[in-house]
Amino acid sequence: MAGFIGLSWWGNRLPRSGVGLVGCGSIGGAFLVTLVVLADMLLLSPDQRVGNVVTLYPWIASPHFQLDLAVLIDPLSVFMLLVVTGVGFLIHVYSIGYMQDDPEYSRFFAYMNLFIFSMSLLVMAADFFFLIVGWALVGLASYLLIGFWTEKTSAVLAARKAFVMNVIGDVGMVIAAFVVFQYFGTLNYVDVFAKASTTFSPNDDGVLLITLLLLVGAFAKSAQVPLHTWLPDAMEGPTPVSALIHAATMVTAGVYLVARCNSLFMLAPYTMYLVAGVGVFTAIFAGSMALVQFDIKRVIAFSTMSQIGYMFLAVGVGVFSAGMFHLMTHAFFKALLFLGAGSVIHALGGEQDIRKMGGLRHAMPITFWTFLVAALALSGFPLTAGFFSKELIIMESYHAELGNFLFWGLAVLGAGLTGFYTFRLFFYVFMGSSRSPGAHPHESPMVMTGPLLILGSLSLLGGVLGPWAHEFLSPVFSGVIPLHHEDALLESITVGVALGGIATAVALFMTGKDRLDFAKQMLAPVYDVLIHKYYVDEIYDFFIVKPVKAVGAFMEERAEKDGIDFAVDQVGAQVREVSRGISIWQSGSVRLYAMNMVAGLVTILLFVIFL
Amino acid sequence: MDTDFVLFVSAAIFSIGAVGFLIRKNPLVMFMSVELMLNSVNLLLVGYSKALASLDGQIFALIIMTVAAAEVVVGLAIILTIFRTRHDLNVDHINVLKG
Repeated sequence: MAGFIGLSWWGNRLPRSGVGLVGCGSIGGAFLVTLVVLADMLLLSPDQRVGNVVTLYPWIASPHFQLDLAVLIDPLSVFMLLVVTGVGFLIHVYSIGYMQDDPEYSRFFAYMNLFIFSMSLLVMAADFFFLIVGWALVGLASYLLIGFWTEKTSAVLAARKAFVMNVIGDVGMVIAAFVVFQYFGTLNYVDVFAKASTTFSPNDDGVLLITLLLLVGAFAKSAQVPLHTWLPDAMEGPTPVSALIHAATMVTAGVYLVARCNSLFMLAPYTMYLVAGVGVFTAIFAGSMALVQFDIKRVIAFSTMSQIGYMFLAVGVGVFSAGMFHLMTHAFFKALLFLGAGSVIHALGGEQDIRKMGGLRHAMPITFWTFLVAALALSGFPLTAGFFSKELIIMESYHAELGNFLFWGLAVLGAGLTGFYTFRLFFYVFMGSSRSPGAHPHESPMVMTGPLLILGSLSLLGGVLGPWAHEFLSPVFSGVIPLHHEDALLESITVGVALGGIATAVALFMTGKDRLDFAKQMLAPVYDVLIHKYYVDEIYDFFIVKPVKAVGAFMEERAEKDGIDFAVDQVGAQVREVSRGISIWQSGSVRLYAMNMVAGLVTILLFVIFL
Repeated sequence: MDTDFVLFVSAAIFSIGAVGFLIRKNPLVMFMSVELMLNSVNLLLVGYSKALASLDGQIFALIIMTVAAAEVVVGLAIILTIFRTRHDLNVDHINVLKG
């Protein structure tokens, strides 16, 4: 199948992506190849679409362990590929404009291509091994891209933080793979999932262990509580990176993982509750933090965490296709939000503080309209893409087998928060009058607004893909048939709450300062906690970083200096003594060496002849 | 010409080369001594090749000549560089590598 061509395509193009054209061309080509694969797949009947493994070559073959370099082509991986390469392509095009003045232009595109390649590897992997390889590579690419501006200390620190958090997840993944191998004797998806239901009965220790370990990886990569702290800091990277990695693709890898391993997760309802619980908790937790942030990108970052929380909620209650559908629409409108934000930042010469923006709707009409569409989609305004996907999730969180009223209530609350913070951001940036008189904002060039327009129309109209996505993905989630509940009451409550959030934002930010200040004073303590992001960073610092540092200092004093250093020094000193004795032989005189050589030869000759 | 004679000449040339290599102080002359030794071996190979009616020895001699030529190139270059940097070619004075 053509997925093979796709892989080699990326691989070949990777090293020489010197020019933006090559960078975009390779991703665009990959997207086209994916479309071809999709067309191929649509020709097959639904039963045949699952479990097509294309083996490129056997890599490790031993009696106990067989590992092939193989890609899995099924609706889920094709779906993910479409999102990754499609949105990735648009972001690449946008980057041409955004990064134009950067001296490290080509390095940027090389990293971006590396990222797309790793992400594709991640979603196409046919076994846990290559999943982890892709997983780690994605982490690496994200580290490189967050810390892209190496002269910025904060960027480098943020990159390091992201990497450490991701590695925590990687460790979980690797151990999970070990446990999988222990139970199944193979790492192959197809074999593992086929055997899963016979090996385990629901809530067995083994399947719980595997799913929980996988979750560690998923939560770290997707920035869910408690491993979420890296994502806001990751906004130090260039804006297209934030759009690509921290919104559209990488952070959704965790959702993909849960969806991919659905046959394992379905056997572990306890874990599923955890997934849904953490998801919905993150949804409101991050949403509340987004309420008070002033950095345009951080607001969007928190909203990303919150939306991924929704996706986890969806997969957690067992409606995998709804989660994947929200993943897709979210990729559209969140990439659009980030790119719009990037366009604003670009226009204002690097300004990211929304308090200094304002009144941009006249200066940047295209950005304004597309941003509005994205904001509406994000807050689930009726008939936008986000409305369909989010509505589906919230509905299922109540009606699905694993859903309950608590999940539903929290999800609705989160929807209200979303509406509020989104439009708070929107009003700050685009409405009112300019708050920085010196700036002369201008609309971005065509190469940047083009992707905005495309993503805008997708965010507006992507909702119609919902039923298709559900049908297309259903063969993968065999045995999981989410019912389409129609419940006008719940639906209208959700919409009402979301609109209420928007209305609150309008009331507070459009009608003058007084009410805003009043609200701030009323809620001062809450405000304080929120702006410090619930002090999670500080808590980590106190409970983990400080003790580790103390232990480190102690170990340096005792073990390092008195133990290891001493031993190593002594070894060195003794060797030096011995060698000083031997070094007499090394006289440096050529003729002495020659003499020794001849003497040696003669000795050997004598031995050969007389013995 | 009989083989014993060739053997004798070859051994003699080899000894002259070896001794020359050991007692001379000028690297250029030492180098020539090395060539003497190499060529004495060539002589030996060709002599035996004739005695045993086999071409292998002659082919091998040709190979040795090629190697020797290459070696001369490198060696002379080194000697030249030493002279340029130190203006002195006495091997006894070249003891930078003394431990």
